[in-house]
Amino acid sequence: MEKLFLRGSEALALGAIDASVKFYAGYPITPQNDIPEFLSRELPKVGGKFVQAESEVAAINMLLGASACGLRVMTSSSSPGISLMQEGISYLSGSELPAVIVNVMRWGPGLGGIGASQGDYHQATKGGGHGDYFVPVFAPYSAQEMYDLIIRAFDVADKYRTPTMLLVDVMISLMKEKVIRRFEKRSEVKIKSWAFGKVKEGEQKIIKSLYLKGNDLERHNWKLYEKYKVMCEKEVIYESYLCDDAEIVLIGFGMVARIGKSAIDIARERNVKAGLFRPISLVPFPEKELEAISKKCKKFLVVEMNTGQMVHDIQRVLGKDIDISFYGKPSSYAPTPEELFYKIKEQI
Amino acid sequence: MKDYPVYNTYQTPSWCPGCGNFGIWYALKNAFHELGLNNHDITMVFGIGCSGNLSNFLKVYGFHSIHGRTLPVATGIKLANHKLNVLATSGDGDGLGIGLGHFIHTCRRNIDITYIIHDNRVYGLTTGQTSPTSPKGFSSKSTPFGVIELPVNPVALAIISGATFVARGYSGEIDHLASLIVQGMKHKGFSVIDVLQPCVTFNPSYSYAFYNPRVYKLEDTAHNPQDYENAIKLAMEFNDKIPIGIFYKTERETYEQACIELGENPLSEDDIENISIEDIIDDLLA
Repeated sequence: MEKLFLRGSEALALGAIDASVKFYAGYPITPQNDIPEFLSRELPKVGGKFVQAESEVAAINMLLGASACGLRVMTSSSSPGISLMQEGISYLSGSELPAVIVNVMRWGPGLGGIGASQGDYHQATKGGGHGDYFVPVFAPYSAQEMYDLIIRAFDVADKYRTPTMLLVDVMISLMKEKVIRRFEKRSEVKIKSWAFGKVKEGEQKIIKSLYLKGNDLERHNWKLYEKYKVMCEKEVIYESYLCDDAEIVLIGFGMVARIGKSAIDIARERNVKAGLFRPISLVPFPEKELEAISKKCKKFLVVEMNTGQMVHDIQRVLGKDIDISFYGKPSSYAPTPEELFYKIKEQI
Repeated sequence: MKDYPVYNTYQTPSWCPGCGNFGIWYALKNAFHELGLNNHDITMVFGIGCSGNLSNFLKVYGFHSIHGRTLPVATGIKLANHKLNVLATSGDGDGLGIGLGHFIHTCRRNIDITYIIHDNRVYGLTTGQTSPTSPKGFSSKSTPFGVIELPVNPVALAIISGATFVARGYSGEIDHLASLIVQGMKHKGFSVIDVLQPCVTFNPSYSYAFYNPRVYKLEDTAHNPQDYENAIKLAMEFNDKIPIGIFYKTERETYEQACIELGENPLSEDDIENISIEDIIDDLLA
């Protein structure tokens, strides 16, 4: 177990290499450029291929091809680039091809800006592309989680044959901190029996998302849904911090949760009984776990760097009888711990 | 070269000192002045990249569009109001990478738009990745072991794709560039001006020191811009000698001239008050 001092983006790229990523295709866009910069340098050294494609559309389609051959594949981009990739993400889902997509979020809609934002929660968790599908989404809140969750994203992608996404805050990507490297060497990836070149001789293999005959498509869509139901049982991750005796629980993901934790520490020092609930998997959403907390705690404060997106999921899970307030920061200026402590105090 | 601050905005350009975009900025202002255009006579579509920042520094009707999509946006503008003087500008990454498909199709259409490519052979705004015009072997943040692909040749590509005015300018020759822009804007049809634009920060090997001794003007040679074959031959020349000026110029019906739906009046000035669809409904019911 190696102890390193890395930027979040470097931790993520290193995690991808430790997870045996073999193929990366992407296109320059701020603020995610240091992920491809790291991989363009390091991936060829371990026998992987890095491609700067002519566009995000080309990049995601290169992923479709490389994934069909059974490689572990990934791309990274920032919000407008992820919008362009939505077509490919829908096709990856429909074709049941594993791939990992990293979105280091910036402002939108449109060109928006390049500052910190959580404006893509809806796009990431509710589809983005056309059709009936779910993409598992993970939200890291430290450099360590950038490393850990990219590895998990590859594992989940392979296990369910689905694209997975890391929804990353730019501050987590640029912040430098301690990272413990779990793997001393690259992980072994199982041979995918369904991939091109791996299928038995004489057998035909078609990878497709088109189903025209009878009720084939209906069966296919129910199959995708069944996989999602299994994910809901097995792939939920979250963190609950000092919620047991809490009178108010702050909910946030990624960077907001990181700041929120400091706000909870300030509150506890002043004998304010506050806790933090942090979904790490945004899809599948930790519904049961949140419900369990609401049995004891009746006050929730949702904080996001947008005008209110995850809060809709919280309202859906907790229902109307629970007191849910929202504090949004749709600007590049993240809330401070003191600011969030003040918001907590306002509510009790 | 003179400056015409009437086309300035309140913003000072944020490009690096020495950036080739300054030359294009001045050349555009000179060209607008020579053509006697007021601010409201000019409609420009900008792309994403350092060139896109130009939208903040030129006082014209400006549309800051999506990465790679300047030409479809400009086409939409021209078709909706063909009385407007429409220009599009973007970098080599925007126009020849993600936007390359649109580039070829706009050449085919020969729509009356002037397209200026800020060709610095690198992605500058994202701090130095390879671009579609980077030379083979170019080492950058995304190609530490050198570019494998051959570069796109925008001049040759424009000629064979059907553009009817194809030129190359240089940021270090502002008066010459301004004259190319004037001729391009006067030309009826799609005019492409590829501009050698040094990026002194992220691509210093293609700075003024590289271009100055190499560029020469086609108008000082015997080249006839009507000569298609010689134009293509010259477009392939990029070594010790780099030609600038008009490579190719021809006349062909423009897209909007060929559109039967477009009359003298632009669509945007059509009166829709008195349009009746009753005849159509009668036809359908008959």
